[in-house]
Amino acid sequence: MDSISPKERLFRVFDKKSIDRPPVVCPGGMMNAAIVDVMNSTGHTLPEAHHDDRLMAALAEDVYTHTGFENFGIPFCMTVEAEVLGSEINFGTLNCEPKIQTERFADASQVEYKDINQMLKQGRISNVVQAGWHLSHKNADVPVIGNLTGPISTAASVIDPMNFLKGLRKDREGSHKVLDYVVDFLIAYAQLMIEGGATVISVGDPTATGEILGPKMFKEYAVTYLNKLVEGIGKTGTPVIVHICGDLGSVKQYILEIRSQAISTDAKVNLRELKEEYPSLVTMGNLSTYMLEFGKPEQVSVQAKRLVEQKIDIIAPACGLSTSSSLDNIKAFTQSVKEG
Amino acid sequence: MSNTENDFHQKLSDAVVNMEDAAAASLSQEVVASGFDAYEAIDKGLAKGMERAGVLFEEEEYFIPELLMCSDAMYAGLDVLKPHIKTDEQAQKYKIVLGVIEGDTHDIGKNLVKIMLESSGFEVVDLGRDIPPAKFVEKAVEIGADIIGLSTLMTTTMDGMRAVVDILKEKNIKEKFKVIIGGGPISPAFAKKIGADGYSGNAAGAVRLARDLCGVVQ
Repeated sequence: MDSISPKERLFRVFDKKSIDRPPVVCPGGMMNAAIVDVMNSTGHTLPEAHHDDRLMAALAEDVYTHTGFENFGIPFCMTVEAEVLGSEINFGTLNCEPKIQTERFADASQVEYKDINQMLKQGRISNVVQAGWHLSHKNADVPVIGNLTGPISTAASVIDPMNFLKGLRKDREGSHKVLDYVVDFLIAYAQLMIEGGATVISVGDPTATGEILGPKMFKEYAVTYLNKLVEGIGKTGTPVIVHICGDLGSVKQYILEIRSQAISTDAKVNLRELKEEYPSLVTMGNLSTYMLEFGKPEQVSVQAKRLVEQKIDIIAPACGLSTSSSLDNIKAFTQSVKEG
Repeated sequence: MSNTENDFHQKLSDAVVNMEDAAAASLSQEVVASGFDAYEAIDKGLAKGMERAGVLFEEEEYFIPELLMCSDAMYAGLDVLKPHIKTDEQAQKYKIVLGVIEGDTHDIGKNLVKIMLESSGFEVVDLGRDIPPAKFVEKAVEIGADIIGLSTLMTTTMDGMRAVVDILKEKNIKEKFKVIIGGGPISPAFAKKIGADGYSGNAAGAVRLARDLCGVVQ
């Protein structure tokens, strides 16, 4: 019974309204499904698509068409932000995602504060925004998810990560100043994506985990700046998904404080238990990406149906997908959710 | 009242645990000025402090920022004391080649493992991050390493770990090296599957694993 569109279904979840079945999405960015199988069959390939709005949109459409995920997701990396903020990027290959080659600054005190409006004209920002525009005109029934690298991860991609983490203790004032700046930039970038046609913003912040930061710093930095970001984006009325990597463990107590419309988690988290503990939480996740790469379609299918049975609100991969995951596994995943 | 040697050891250990790098450096200078043994001060002071920090990390009292600050204090003291170690005290050290597999530039975990191994007396050759599998083997052969340590945070790069073991097998030199692996997506089952010699879920565990595999009495 697919009487409602993928976009409407997803938005009904954010609004906590009833739905026929959960949406199955793969937001993009850190969690994108631009697998080698898809790229080779269509010829719209990475790394070229990182730099070209039409190619980026075409690849996002390929992913949507071939995998069965019910959204368009852009971009296909986590480096757009750090590039504009000054870091050197290695754009990777067909099967290897872009990465930070060298962080621009040694520590927080060295960060140069640039004009945000100027930065929005640089790097690949306009490509991503434009790709969103193309996609929003391709199929209005499909949500366009614009992806952001979260505040802590962006800061740790611009400042040497070891020094950044030490700075959270050693130089709190400097750390807060940098994070404020990073979030202001992220909000402005998100607003551009939304003006361009993005209907949802998804934030992945893999450095902002309880395992890395511990509960005290997770609250002081991650919760504070994720919320600043969510609120800044929220002014446009656009829903925000926040993905938290790793086990929630010691930071589970702060999950309800994050004011995004949905929380996506890693495979380590038992989403059923999390839902029981926090019934008001809109949960997203968390099919093992290890299984998507190394499992068999039947196993994937069983796990996908289990997530549906557990009434996980939005079904999605738990983490970044391997580019060598098989299309058969991903199709088994999305079809199983759609069949219920 | 002047400090006894034991006082210094305790204070050095405390300076590391309390993340006080300036104190660790000045205490180390005092150790040297007082004519106490530099090697003992490292072993019973700085390294002991790092071991305590590792315990706090495992107990989730300390997290990565704290452990890094502790290691800064340890290295601050080490910089002062190292030149004063008597040569006959420099025991044969076990060597480890360490790095993050190609495709992954996350190296926080690897850096923690390096810190903990170094503070436990291992000689660590750190290849860095985003390292092709063949490079690990090449370096391990070159320096006559005892252990090859591989880290990854990304499921996408786990195959590179298998590649390292496979290269060693192809070259018929697998038995010369112990391969240990760790990182977010890695499990003991995966280690077994690819033929690695051990797995650790955290930096302190990596030290125990390395000691075990080298037959170091703990």
